[in-house]
Order: sequence, then C-alpha cells, then structure tokens
Amino acid sequence: MNHLDFYEKVMSLRKQGQKAAIATVIRTKGSTPRKTGTKMIVYPDCKLHGTIGGGCGEGEVIEKALLVIETGKPQQHQVDLTEGLLYEDGGICGGIMDVFIESTLPYHS
Amino acid sequence: MTITSHTNIHLIGTKSLLWSDGSIFSDNAYSKLFSNELVAHGLPLLLKQQTKSITFPWETAKVECYIEVFPAPSRLIVAGAGHVSEPVEKIGRMLGFYVTVIDDRKAFANREKFPEADEVICMSYLDFFREVRITPKTYILLLTRGHKFDVISLQELLKREEQLKAQERTTYIGMIGSRRRIAGVFEQLKSEFTHHHFKNIYSPVGLDIGAQSPAEIAISIMAEILKVQNSSPGRSKREKIQDYEKLKFYERDRK
Repeated sequence: MNHLDFYEKVMSLRKQGQKAAIATVIRTKGSTPRKTGTKMIVYPDCKLHGTIGGGCGEGEVIEKALLVIETGKPQQHQVDLTEGLLYEDGGICGGIMDVFIESTLPYHS
Repeated sequence: MTITSHTNIHLIGTKSLLWSDGSIFSDNAYSKLFSNELVAHGLPLLLKQQTKSITFPWETAKVECYIEVFPAPSRLIVAGAGHVSEPVEKIGRMLGFYVTVIDDRKAFANREKFPEADEVICMSYLDFFREVRITPKTYILLLTRGHKFDVISLQELLKREEQLKAQERTTYIGMIGSRRRIAGVFEQLKSEFTHHHFKNIYSPVGLDIGAQSPAEIAISIMAEILKVQNSSPGRSKREKIQDYEKLKFYERDRK
C-alpha cells in the first residue's frame, strides 16, 4: 500500500471527526507476516483498511483497537506467533510483532 | 517519529517530523533537550533510510520511539499504452510505484483509458526519453506497439546512461519481444554501447511462468520487477525448505 494514500485516508477521517484506530507494526522478531512499518486502520465496526498479517494475531489487535477507539488512549500489543505450530490458535509464522495502536483523533485525557 | 512508550503517558502517541537537515516539527511542546535527543537518535536512521523502534534513557526512565522513514516512491514508466500496459499500470500502483504511462497516440494515452495512473503523457517516445529523469529509483518498461520504438527508446536510454556512473543509472529497463529478435538486437547494441554493462537491461521481460494473456504477462513482468527491487532470487520458496527442516521447529512452553 502507498504511504500517501494511507495518510490521506487518516487525514480525511480526522477531518470528519470519525473515530478509528491505526495499528502499526513497530518491531518484529523472527519470522512475521509483515515487516516493521506495516499499518492498518481499524474502524469501530471492525472493518479494516490494510492488514498487519491476518489471522488470530490480527484479531487480537482488532480487539485492542476497539478499546483504543473507545478510550482514545494509545497502547501496545504484542502478537506472539511462536506458539502452537499445529494448533488452531497458533500463527503459522513463528515470530513476534509489537504493534502500536492509536486513535485517529488526538488523545486528551 | 512517534513516542510509543514514556513514563509521562500524555506523551505516548505524540509525533514529530524530522527532515534530513536536522530540523524537527512536533505536534507537542517537547522541551528543547528532548527534541535534541530525538534528532540525535532519528537522524542517523533517516540518513540510512531505516525504519525501526529505538529506546533511550530519559531522566529516570526509558523512552521508546518508533521512527519511520518515508522514501520517495519508485517511479515506473510504462512506454506504450496497449493491452499489457493496462494491467501493468494497475499492478504497479498496487505495489506502491508512482506510475507514468506514455504513448505517442492520443487515442491510447488518455485519462479514459488510465483514470488512476499517476501520470499519462502523450508525446513522442524519443522526446520523452531524451528528457526523462534517470535515478536508481527509475523502472522503465518498453512495451510499445512496434519493436522499433522500443529499440529507439532503449538506444536513447543507453546513450544517456553511458554518461552516468553505474550506481546512478536506472535499476530496471525491461523490453518486451521474442527471444530471437532480441538476441539480434542485443548483438548490435552491445557493439554500439561499449561503456554500458547492460546489467539493468531485462529483455525479454518477465519471469518464466508461462504467461500468455495480458494479465498473465503483467504479473510475470511485475514479479520480475519486485525480484530486482528486493534483490531476491525469485524461485519457489519451497526450494529453500530443506535448509529449515534441519533446524526443526521448537515449541515454546505455554504460559
């Protein structure tokens, strides 16, 4: 995805005062589906723009993003894909990603 | 640069922009000292064009900062606006290229045909390639309606690139055509341009995936461009799996 398109989208959400969250992969270790710098927008209805890799890891991030949208408070989430190679809840990649999740609207506590 | 961890929670999520000359703009009133600290950590990464998270001690605790660089996008120039160019232009944009389509015919080089291209230019090929900016972020595809236009364009590019150092030249110039025809053309070009290494010239274009239709050819071409851009071997990934099988996959204990 194109950086400019992404930021244009974020700016238009901001202008419209529309709530959403931005999740950014800020650190990776081992084999992960996406690299540092990958971003996605999570909307309050769980719709996505972009992907940070799909699967259960992304599901966890979406859950946290909903919280961020509600509270406006940024937070980090670590997606651990190293467990359960053959289990249903395990990632198929075998690495760890740190994801920073922030609201599209500025945070005032 | 985004602060992603800080003992002062009000600073988490605050952002600043850093330019390569060291000037900084932030959305928050950071102290002068803190700003300086950010510049000192961010600038080397910016100059190396490296995106990463860093931590540094600040006052009594640690600050974590995510630093992302925004390189200018690579430019994909598609010469010839025929059947193959349409999917090439689309996929090029999907992959983040700044895509320019050029053709010397108004009926082909127009906004109706390429509504979303970054640039559509109607101009003679030779005039265009005489002036076009050449950088290592330039990727050129010669897909014109006639082999002679491709060859004329390529000659002009080779002539200009001969004047440049190898690292200043384009990364990729692909020219479509049959193997036989191209073999003949290259024999001639190599004797004509003896100061060019031809390492960035890819002709015939594309990876060998049996592509036939315009969409298939576009995928074969763009796959080759990605392979070159990422300096990857472009083989099936399963060919590497044997090395990993030896390493085994170890389960970690569940928490």
